[in-house]
Amino acid sequence: MMKRWGILPCNGLDKPAGQLAREIALYLAQDQAKTLACPVFLHSAPSVYAKVKEETQWLVLDGCNTRCASKLAAEAGFAVGKKINVSELTEKENLKLGRSLRLEPEALALAKRSALDLAAALFTARTDREEKTAAIPDGKGQTDSGVDFPASITYTEFRQDKFRFRVPQGEFFFNENDCWVWVQGQRARVGVSDYVQQSLSDIIFFSAPELGAEVEQFGVLGSLESSKAVFEVIAPVAGKVVAVNEELEGSPERVNENPYEQGWIAEVELTDWETDRELLLDAGQYLEYLKNKVADFHV
Amino acid sequence: MSETTFMGVTRAKIPWAPVIDYEKCTFCLECDKFCPHKVYEVNREERRLVVAHPEHCVVFCRACSKTCGPDALSFPNKTEVTDLIKRLRKEEGA
Ligand code: SF4
Ligand code: SF4
Repeated sequence: MMKRWGILPCNGLDKPAGQLAREIALYLAQDQAKTLACPVFLHSAPSVYAKVKEETQWLVLDGCNTRCASKLAAEAGFAVGKKINVSELTEKENLKLGRSLRLEPEALALAKRSALDLAAALFTARTDREEKTAAIPDGKGQTDSGVDFPASITYTEFRQDKFRFRVPQGEFFFNENDCWVWVQGQRARVGVSDYVQQSLSDIIFFSAPELGAEVEQFGVLGSLESSKAVFEVIAPVAGKVVAVNEELEGSPERVNENPYEQGWIAEVELTDWETDRELLLDAGQYLEYLKNKVADFHV
Repeated sequence: MSETTFMGVTRAKIPWAPVIDYEKCTFCLECDKFCPHKVYEVNREERRLVVAHPEHCVVFCRACSKTCGPDALSFPNKTEVTDLIKRLRKEEGA
């Protein structure tokens, strides 16, 4: 069953960016008939939202990088379907909010515009997904991929306290930012290692890199987010993004389950693998590197 | 692969660490609480956060800046740092 959309904004009373988040939420709730969750009420009486939570996917509106709304969504177990950060939005729009808590007309206009854009995006997100489900006969979801990724992988494992760290054997290469790449010809699949998913713990949101975007080696290939932190996926290779793991959009927890298999991030068409390779570790080297790093791993 | 090298280059030669904009910093210490690498130090008397150990910062990580509400943290340019690392690798004969 297709879940309907609800809005979870930051409370935002005491900051201009928060006021803007609220304003966007209000437009969406009033004019677009979306369910609105009150963050304060949700925090103090989560059971009130128990039923609506099951039927809803949430658009989370953070005012700033403190990410109160995202953290709350994680805490409450809300399924996050989309999120925006108002501070990033105003930066992109080149809008200075000033100090006043009462929003200026330009800010109000931006709120209205963003609400309309978001409403449109939520609408297409829904139809996309419906089409996808319709197109996949077994209903399981097959992400389009251009590589023959190994069907089964052997791992070297070690433990530290209650944590298990796997490093895949074979043709995997890593950067020291805990991202891996597996190469086949001109194409490569990229993901994060167990270290990333362990230190983030429950991942609630995947922000995908844009299809067709050119990324440099050590550029950003999307990000993963938990209540603890936002992790930027640091590209081990340079190239053009030709596929993303769309399954992660609805089920980011796949990265926690296995970041090497169903939790892969994206595929890129390589620019210069030979040169990129020089700055990467092979599986054996990464294992040693990881053991050292994990020795002072605290969660 | 010890803590003092990154990609085979002496870590101290790589200028990668957060820069605090004190005009914006509210001394909330979210960044310090978040980072496990002992990059920051807190000067309570002056209510000032300092980047005391830039060499502990993980090259290309920017995670703490995502915890900073007032957006007071910035980082060097990645492409420039990557180019520098490549140059240093040649020089150090890695
Ligand atoms: S999170 Fe930002 S505002 Fe808070 S102490 Fe760190 S730099 Fe300052
Ligand atoms: S960038 Fe990463 S390693 Fe560096 S201080 Fe911030 S959180 Fe710590």
